[in-house]
Amino acid sequence: MFAFTVKWLGFLKVIPGLPLFFDALLKFSMFIIKPKMLEWLDEIESEVGSWEGVTLSLHKYGGVQFNYKGKEIGHLHGNGLLDVLFSRKMKAELLAEKRVQNHHVFKNSGWVSFYLKSDEDVQYALYLLKLSFLLQKNSLS
Amino acid sequence: MNNRNYKREEIQGLVFSNLFAFSVIGITRALSLHPGVFIYAEFVIIPFVMGIICSWFWKNLELKGARVTALSVLNCTVAILLSAIFLGEGVICLIIVSPLIFGFVITGTFVGRAMFKRDNRNLNISVLSLLLFLFVADSLSKHHYESKVSDVIVINAPAEEVWKHVVAFERIKEKNKFWLFKVGMPSPVAATVDGYYEGAGRKCIFSNGYIFDEKIVQYKPLENLTFDIVKQPRDPEIMGHIDILRGQFLLKDNRNGTTTLTGNSWYRLYVFPLWYYDIWAESITRHVHLRVMDHIKSLSEKR
Repeated sequence: MFAFTVKWLGFLKVIPGLPLFFDALLKFSMFIIKPKMLEWLDEIESEVGSWEGVTLSLHKYGGVQFNYKGKEIGHLHGNGLLDVLFSRKMKAELLAEKRVQNHHVFKNSGWVSFYLKSDEDVQYALYLLKLSFLLQKNSLS
Repeated sequence: MNNRNYKREEIQGLVFSNLFAFSVIGITRALSLHPGVFIYAEFVIIPFVMGIICSWFWKNLELKGARVTALSVLNCTVAILLSAIFLGEGVICLIIVSPLIFGFVITGTFVGRAMFKRDNRNLNISVLSLLLFLFVADSLSKHHYESKVSDVIVINAPAEEVWKHVVAFERIKEKNKFWLFKVGMPSPVAATVDGYYEGAGRKCIFSNGYIFDEKIVQYKPLENLTFDIVKQPRDPEIMGHIDILRGQFLLKDNRNGTTTLTGNSWYRLYVFPLWYYDIWAESITRHVHLRVMDHIKSLSEKR
């Protein structure tokens, strides 16, 4: 459903508020079919939000966005899809680990996508965000 | 929702957001701004503001996203139940409207949460002013929408045979396949006529006993049957929100023993936004067509 919407209705994302509405429907569907997901999202949100210099905001295409000193390090959609920004070199290394995928839309960028499916995935999601956070921190220091 | 108790602020959010919603709907009804029509503002802006109101009450509670979502779902459920009681909406209507209500209440709650976290008074006032402007502008705008749905099937029978089952047809006994018909939405079961001429009365009978009174306005045997709907039932299940204005069956003899049957329906919608409700209207009208047209096909090919 998510992939179908992004592929065929993705052009509608420019309509203000529509991606937020779509993300709300994702959260609602998770509440019905996989309530555990909402707890995983909370766990990641509160952990990453506690890192020094990290702020949270609404992502323009729906979900919560993690920023370090105003620069985005990643965002988490309501269906448990985590998108994190890396350099292309780092992305290649992570892809070799076979746990992340190319970004679900921008395949040739430094972005990677990771789907939360289990409790263990929360730790890996935090690892990815920490990595991006540290890279961002080092590059800005 | 786990077993935890509700905090006072959580309950206040639910109560005041619903109070706001039903007061605004009540006021617009009392002012007769758009009688008989439910508009975009009522399905999009009110639920969105309901979410913001909840967030305002919950702003000091440090609620987790899962809790916010659960409370929002509860809020929507309360709003939908109250709609059934105070607005007299039926189950099918509530099923159709639910995605909009759930989506915009949850969106409003999360947007409100972000707004009040940031605590930028200018931004908050700007957002609320914009919503108020949209609400007033939409409430004062004219809402009139008519459209047409067409469906075409090919029947393995000559036009003479097909025509016999177009004007009136015996009771449909096949099981419904469309999910809304299965959950109780009335579907067409039979059609009767007073006579075979222009001006004759025709009745389309639905599964729950509803009768649409029609008048034949074009009668060209083997080619065209067009009828205007002169009286239709009003009830909480859809029928009050859409009027079928005209129906038409066009036959084209393909000169090879088959006939192309086209079914057209013209309808008027009384619910907005169109980008949402017209999808439903088209789908429902299409399935009404296909139920009748498939029946005509099966009767015609039985010979």
